[in-house]
Amino acid sequence: MRRITEVFGGRRNLLFSGLLLALLFILLLDLFFVHHIFSPFVYFYLCFALVIVFYGIYPLYVSRRLTRYYWDRTKRHHLAVIGLVFIIFLVAVAIFGPFLTQDPTKVDFPNKNLPPVGFSAEQSTYDRTTGQFITRETPGTWLHPLGTDDKGRDMLAMLVSGTRISLQVGLMATLIAIFIGLIMGVVSAYLGGWADNALMRFTDIMMTFPFFLLLVFIVFIFGPSLWFIILAIGLTGWTGTARLVRSESLSLRTRDFIMASKSLGASDRRIVFHHLIPNVLSSVIVIATLSIPGVILAEAALSFIGLGDPTVTSWGLVLQAGQRSLETAWWIAVEPGIMLFLTVLAFNFLGDGVRDAFDPRSQV
Amino acid sequence: MKQGGLQNYIIRRLFYAFLIAFGVVTVTFILLRVGPSSPADKYLANISSRTQDPAKVIEAVEARYGLDRPLYQQYFNYLVSLARGDWGWSFSTSLPVIELIKRHWIYSFQLILLSMLFASSLGILIGIYSAVKQYTKTDYAATFFSFIGISIPNFWLGIMLILVFSVQLGWFKTYYDTGLPLFSLANLKALILPVITLGTGMMAGYTRYSRSATLDNLRKDFVKTARAKGLPEYIVIGKHVFRNAILPIITIIMFDLAGVVFGGAYLTEIIFGIPGLGRISFNAIFANDYPVVITITLIGAMVVLLTNLATDIVYTWLDPRIRYD
Repeated sequence: MRRITEVFGGRRNLLFSGLLLALLFILLLDLFFVHHIFSPFVYFYLCFALVIVFYGIYPLYVSRRLTRYYWDRTKRHHLAVIGLVFIIFLVAVAIFGPFLTQDPTKVDFPNKNLPPVGFSAEQSTYDRTTGQFITRETPGTWLHPLGTDDKGRDMLAMLVSGTRISLQVGLMATLIAIFIGLIMGVVSAYLGGWADNALMRFTDIMMTFPFFLLLVFIVFIFGPSLWFIILAIGLTGWTGTARLVRSESLSLRTRDFIMASKSLGASDRRIVFHHLIPNVLSSVIVIATLSIPGVILAEAALSFIGLGDPTVTSWGLVLQAGQRSLETAWWIAVEPGIMLFLTVLAFNFLGDGVRDAFDPRSQV
Repeated sequence: MKQGGLQNYIIRRLFYAFLIAFGVVTVTFILLRVGPSSPADKYLANISSRTQDPAKVIEAVEARYGLDRPLYQQYFNYLVSLARGDWGWSFSTSLPVIELIKRHWIYSFQLILLSMLFASSLGILIGIYSAVKQYTKTDYAATFFSFIGISIPNFWLGIMLILVFSVQLGWFKTYYDTGLPLFSLANLKALILPVITLGTGMMAGYTRYSRSATLDNLRKDFVKTARAKGLPEYIVIGKHVFRNAILPIITIIMFDLAGVVFGGAYLTEIIFGIPGLGRISFNAIFANDYPVVITITLIGAMVVLLTNLATDIVYTWLDPRIRYD
């Protein structure tokens, strides 16, 4: 067993680069010869999955003892475990849900404003034969277990589609932000001098913008598409990580083991990749988990005010429809909000647990 | 600490704030020019329906606003006009932007001020109380509710408050009544739901921070000394613990302005129809009225900049231990 991991471990970067190149090759093939086998998102997911397998699951598997240690520490937080279970459930819904539910964009006016199962609502409908509006009590049906919205779209399907969007945005934008923040932080701590000064002043400038106002401004200029929103959140949300990574790297640089490594003749590249980054990674994981809810909320808020991608059904969009028909159909506003709330709560619980496991010094 | 050190520190901070302001303005300029649609297009979107030849209109608009000049000149003009208070013309409202801001800033200001008062006073009190009563039921309840308060999306909370208190119970209007005089009880009543909407998340955050800051200080030696001297508990907490715990909390409250308060106020104003800066920026976005959108983004950044500056300077007075050299 050990031998396999050693052999594999030595070639890990090589194998990873190879697979990444293969993926890129297929993407190019897709773009220029065979048009659109998969959507661009699929490539991103495959790439994401590769990163997770090679630099997430594999190291966890190799150092099983450490994994068990972290898991035991996280497990002590019951709420964190509940949060994790809920997130796994959400991921499953996001991946498989859209295949099982109805089309979230299918408009069906005769069945509009149906309440969820177990509730009933008064509704006025237009009667063609008499030419009058009649009010009657409509009960919820199992065909639309969570009811329908003001255009007759199935709420369950819309919520499932929203789960996919929210997780996509939350994970990808956080990944981009963390990546930029990590590079900014390590580079500025390692180079020092005027480069450090310039990068940190730029960070200060970005931090001066109120996050949401800047986001609105960028989306206003560049137009609302899901990709762009993800990119915009990623490109604006890295400042906290950059500062954290910089300060951690600065304190690490003066530690004995890095001094020792340097005096043994290790190159800058080796010190950065083998000592600095692995050591700041635990704080980065914590800050990543804790920043996902903020990202999800930012996207929901953007689509709630009508600056989201109008072609995808996200929770914010449903919520916006819900506010319009608050007086006739309360469930349209209540349901996506509950999903949003529970998702944010789950990530916050998990983040708290992860922080205690990885970084026992920090309180709050 | 020498008096000269403090003065130098403040001058340095002012200079630094000026640099950051310059950077902020530059970033907005770059974003505007990098964007796929030029300002002329946005102007065009507003007037094209009334004119015949779009190419001619673009030319005229570009000449009128100096968009045909080289980029460095445009940048220079942008800086000069911002500095002179000439913030452009809002075509959706047919007013100079500065006039629009003058008319509406007070609505945002009252909302933010009241919410921060509500959140900080209640949050700090609950936090300290729950730290003093650590590991009791009150403490657990406070911790639990602060967790919920942090996680609840504030725009959804606003909608739920409207649903329960305005639609179902009918206690409040579903929309903010702009006809009310600003300093009146009726206005205060109309602001109750918006203030709860904006303040709950902040309050929950301050509860957590002040709880942990208080706990940190409760374990310090000077608290033991104070107790050993036989001081009554309310003086130990109110004087010795509180004054030390409040410093980090003030930083956090000020820091919140950038991330939480402006975003929250923006959404709260939209939900309740309060005609503050967030609401007019929102209207301007859908009217493609870009001078208004830029100006409000810049105002947000400048307010954050000034509060950060003020925090740093107020700190010198709040905490005499800090050295500035």
